[in-house]
Amino acid sequence: MKRPVFVIIFISLIIVILSIVQVSVANQISTTGSELVALQNKVNDYQRENTILHEQLLAAASFTTIADKAKQLGYVPAKSQVYLNTPLPLALKQ
Amino acid sequence: MNWRYRLVLFSFVLLFAFLVARLFYWQVVRASELAAMGQDQYGRIIKLTPKRGEIMTSDMFALAANKIAYLVFANPKEIKQVQQASDILSPLLDVESATISALLSLDKYWVPLKSHVARDTKSKIEPLHLPGIGFEEQSVRFYPEASIAAKLLGFVGKDENGEDKGYFGLEGYYDRQLRGKTGLAVQIHDALGQPILAKMNDNVGKVDGRNLILHVDRTIQFLLDNTLKDGIAEYGASGGMAAVMDPKTGGILAISSFPTYDPRHYQDYSDTLYKNPLITDTYEPGSTFKPLIMASALDAGLVHPDTRCSICGGPVSIGEYDIRTWNNQYNANETMTEVIQHSDNTGMVFAGRLLGLDRMLSYFKKFGIGDTSGVDLQGEVVAAIRPRDEWYPIDLATATFGQGITVTPIELLTAFSAIANDGKRMEPHIVSSIQTPDGDKIAIPPKVLSEPISSKTAKIMTEMMVNAVDNGEAKWAKPKGYRIAGKTGTAQIPVAGHYDANKTIASFIGFAPADDPKFLMLVVVDRPTTSIYGAETAAPIFFRVAKNILTYYGIPPSE
Repeated sequence: MKRPVFVIIFISLIIVILSIVQVSVANQISTTGSELVALQNKVNDYQRENTILHEQLLAAASFTTIADKAKQLGYVPAKSQVYLNTPLPLALKQ
Repeated sequence: MNWRYRLVLFSFVLLFAFLVARLFYWQVVRASELAAMGQDQYGRIIKLTPKRGEIMTSDMFALAANKIAYLVFANPKEIKQVQQASDILSPLLDVESATISALLSLDKYWVPLKSHVARDTKSKIEPLHLPGIGFEEQSVRFYPEASIAAKLLGFVGKDENGEDKGYFGLEGYYDRQLRGKTGLAVQIHDALGQPILAKMNDNVGKVDGRNLILHVDRTIQFLLDNTLKDGIAEYGASGGMAAVMDPKTGGILAISSFPTYDPRHYQDYSDTLYKNPLITDTYEPGSTFKPLIMASALDAGLVHPDTRCSICGGPVSIGEYDIRTWNNQYNANETMTEVIQHSDNTGMVFAGRLLGLDRMLSYFKKFGIGDTSGVDLQGEVVAAIRPRDEWYPIDLATATFGQGITVTPIELLTAFSAIANDGKRMEPHIVSSIQTPDGDKIAIPPKVLSEPISSKTAKIMTEMMVNAVDNGEAKWAKPKGYRIAGKTGTAQIPVAGHYDANKTIASFIGFAPADDPKFLMLVVVDRPTTSIYGAETAAPIFFRVAKNILTYYGIPPSE
């Protein structure tokens, strides 16, 4: 007669433990949703910021912008170049 | 008692029949509708728009990128003071107040007011807290170098489904690579609308577009665009085009044409400006065609640089026509080198007669004349050559100096790559590699299209073209100390069956340094008014760009 009692107690314990686990996991998951939204929003914000910075970088580094700024600062194109065709000695023996 | 059993049995059968019918109605007749309702309760389908690939120059600078813009929309049901809201939004959105007012008066829950609105504008509208006004984020094309290389790039418009689609240029040719693949995701959420971690996204399927990495060199492109634009203004031309190619790989280093358009506001321009004339327009090349005929005669062993022209003492008569030189001056017994130097039409007729029609047509085929070049741009046309039996002696004669025959500029440039590249004609290519979203690069290898002439012929022809630059009509414009091979061209424009004497297409084609060419360039100026000659219009533009490219490459003068 002792065996069925032991089995019933064992099964009941298992049921109680699993119920506790299920409740705690469900509880945890239910709060993760809002965290997930926050994380996703953060990712979206970073991606948006990255796109904006990339756009600003391209606009600032474009030749059109640089040429305009150079003109404003008074730079003019070089009219001639000097080429050093003969290699200069690195050191002269005294 | 028997009838009672039967009654119970009948009742059960009837009940089951009703259940089966009801289940059939739910699971078959209204299945899709109920499935959609169910899905709507536990999640929603989100369309994931892929990021369009960027178009980058060889230094990895994006000529076409993406930026964030906004669609401003309104819910007219929430707006009580329509006129006041319209007056506030009108100057900010640059839309007439009456137009906004009409939209806000519609009996709808959602109306778009303006798309592609900049971030600055959004930040001005947001603090006003106008009721019923909202913003939807959009990704739009952004061109950091403004309209530079606009005709090379093409633009992004909409297709019949309202999706982004590339038109013309690279945006059109490589649209499938650039656009990527739209994905669909099901986001599961709880009763409060918060997403559930498990199975957040099902069947994503989104693939971002691939980036294009071009042979185009941003510095050379910038130089070419600016110099060509200034040259067109200086010579009072109605337009112009130019292209620079690496003759050893066929890679296009720069390509430019004017008048052009701004790809950001392409709708504001005539659609005739969208096409790239370097691949879509045919023209008579004039004297720039002469080196191809001379190279053919040299390659066939019919002439050599010192062969003397026996018919160059005066005009050459062919039937009822007289072939004259461009300045009506004649040099009896001049050599083939001098024929190219003086751009002598009679000398070319001499070479053409030795070559003969069949051999000439055979060399045309090898040089790719009458065929597409295979350039990776949308809209290349074929400048067809007339059939063999429609050639008359006068046609053969005029073709030797580039009249009565048409080519596209890219076709001529490709043909000349054979002279600049030891006899090998290269396929012109804009894109050097395609970059996947994972960062892998798929290289597009150079392709030899044909070998129309031998390496030896190419070297001889190069020397003849160097002599033409050093001693020809355009020598005044040449940068000192460099060996540059080139040829001028002045082609009259056929109008209503005759040539217009005052309207020409002036051109110059050449490559440098002649002994180890780093670039091959063609400059075409349409109807210049200060001078009709290529030597006085296209050649100076060519040499200005050439000098800057040589400086940029750090190549010192060799002479």
